[in-house]
Amino acid sequence: MRVVAVLAALFFALGLVVYMTYWILVIRQGEDKSILSRTGSDKREKEILSVGTIAVFSLLLALQILGFNVFGFVTLFLTFGALGALVVWRGVSAAERTHLHTITDSLATMGSATGEGWVGITLRTVVSVVFILVGVSNLSVVSHRPGAASGVVVGATALVLGLIILFAPWWIGTLRGLSRERNARVRAQERADMAAHVHDSVLQTLSLIQRAADNPVEVARLVRMQERDLRLWLVDPESFGVTSDPPNTLAESAFEIEHEVEDTYAVAVDVVIVGDCDLSPPVLALLGAGREAAVNAAKWSEAPSVKIYIEVESERISMFVRDLGKGFDPSEVPGDRQGISGSIVDRMERYSGRATIRSSPGAGTEVELVLPIKTAQ
Amino acid sequence: MNDVALPRVFLVDDHALIRSGIRVELGSQVELVGEADEVEAAIEMIIERLPDVVLLDVHMPDGGGRAVLESVIAHQPSVKFLALSVSDAAEDVIAIIRAGARGYVTKNIEGPELIEAIHRIAAGDAVFSSRLAGFVLDAFASQNGGAETSPPPFDPELDQLTVREREVLRLIARGYAYKEIATELNIAIKTVESHVSAVLRKLQLSNRHQLTKWATERRLL
Repeated sequence: MRVVAVLAALFFALGLVVYMTYWILVIRQGEDKSILSRTGSDKREKEILSVGTIAVFSLLLALQILGFNVFGFVTLFLTFGALGALVVWRGVSAAERTHLHTITDSLATMGSATGEGWVGITLRTVVSVVFILVGVSNLSVVSHRPGAASGVVVGATALVLGLIILFAPWWIGTLRGLSRERNARVRAQERADMAAHVHDSVLQTLSLIQRAADNPVEVARLVRMQERDLRLWLVDPESFGVTSDPPNTLAESAFEIEHEVEDTYAVAVDVVIVGDCDLSPPVLALLGAGREAAVNAAKWSEAPSVKIYIEVESERISMFVRDLGKGFDPSEVPGDRQGISGSIVDRMERYSGRATIRSSPGAGTEVELVLPIKTAQ
Repeated sequence: MNDVALPRVFLVDDHALIRSGIRVELGSQVELVGEADEVEAAIEMIIERLPDVVLLDVHMPDGGGRAVLESVIAHQPSVKFLALSVSDAAEDVIAIIRAGARGYVTKNIEGPELIEAIHRIAAGDAVFSSRLAGFVLDAFASQNGGAETSPPPFDPELDQLTVREREVLRLIARGYAYKEIATELNIAIKTVESHVSAVLRKLQLSNRHQLTKWATERRLL
């Protein structure tokens, strides 16, 4: 296992060295000189390079003499790497330099959640490296002496502190990035849902309207349908389109009648309800009669809208269906006509309710339905 | 009619399309003194121009119509507001009335009806759409039935509707115009108007806790 790691590191290191050598020696596409020849031909660059090399090696030598065992594979690799980087940095063309700048600048802010820039980065790195060095040296020195546990604690603490200072901004930044990303994902999801809904409903309806442009009745019907749909969705987007259950209460059934009559006959139906109650056979009979009255109004009155008002009281339920259409003379309607007598009047009377129809030619029609309900709860 | 000065109207709505639609419907029946599409500008211009009636969109960004209403009324209580909305959420409607609007109509109201409503508001009366009438009847309903479950009204004068007021509201909810209500109940149109104004006052001043509670619950429907 260790062999693999060493080989990998070796290849990795060798790869880096090869890459850097290649970078230094090979002429970049679209340029006339390699980095090395450009650096080598400039007197000032040559001085900087030689001074840098001498300084680094003197430092290493001094450390070696002082007793730190610094000469080794890693140190040499790092040293040559650093010198190579220096050559590259000094020798690149202007075009490549701006490119490198974008990379290094993003490095400076990438690691720090506060965007502190180079000064902050350097300061933090220096402080943390000092901590880490103190920690490592404490640990390595102390471990040879017996019974010096406090040194281990100090060393370990310094090491951990150093690592925290070094990596904390990066870690915090990552956490923040994660939550930002999560928020963005949630928002994107919502936007997608909304877009899907707008597409399925509004855009579809608009294309239908375009196709039916010369048919005002159909256009009105489509618009009403879409308006209702949007309204429902705005009030409760969560449950929208989820509940296809049959209605459970008087109010739900009444709104269903509104939708049905609007969709079938292309008139506006306005329902106003005061109170609500559960469905029962008498209530269903009342709704059936009211629906019939609304359908009649939509079919025959020629009025653009039908108004339905329902009020639930403790001892009765009233329902009014009104239009401002052409009206008719109720006394002239034959009693055997199924629509009014069977579907409205008889239906109400079977549950001891009553139906009153008030209409006169030119003054609209109002059907009043009253259903007594037993006070026993 | 020609001698009577036209009501000066200010229009507040954040949708240009709606504004131009309303402008067309109003025609020359009112004097339009200005319009605004956002809260800050609306407040400033209304206080400067002092219209008789402000047509106010309930749903706008930055606090909505209610913000405009509250700021203006604090400076100029004489300016009257008619709320326009596509939303029928009881909570919104009750809130805007209690904030001081003298009427509420939906945006699909027909032109002549809207003009009549503006004239009525300018004259100091109230305007209820059938839906608002239904809301009010519902909100004040529990006072008759189930007396044991609801607490006694705090202020009987404000917390209850009279029989006549209920009759008037019921007819509005059924879709009757004021004139039709007057005929139906055998009273003068002026009397109908005063009943509606009385209901408006109760709606604005009553502390009935059911009013708020009811409006909030209705939202869940």
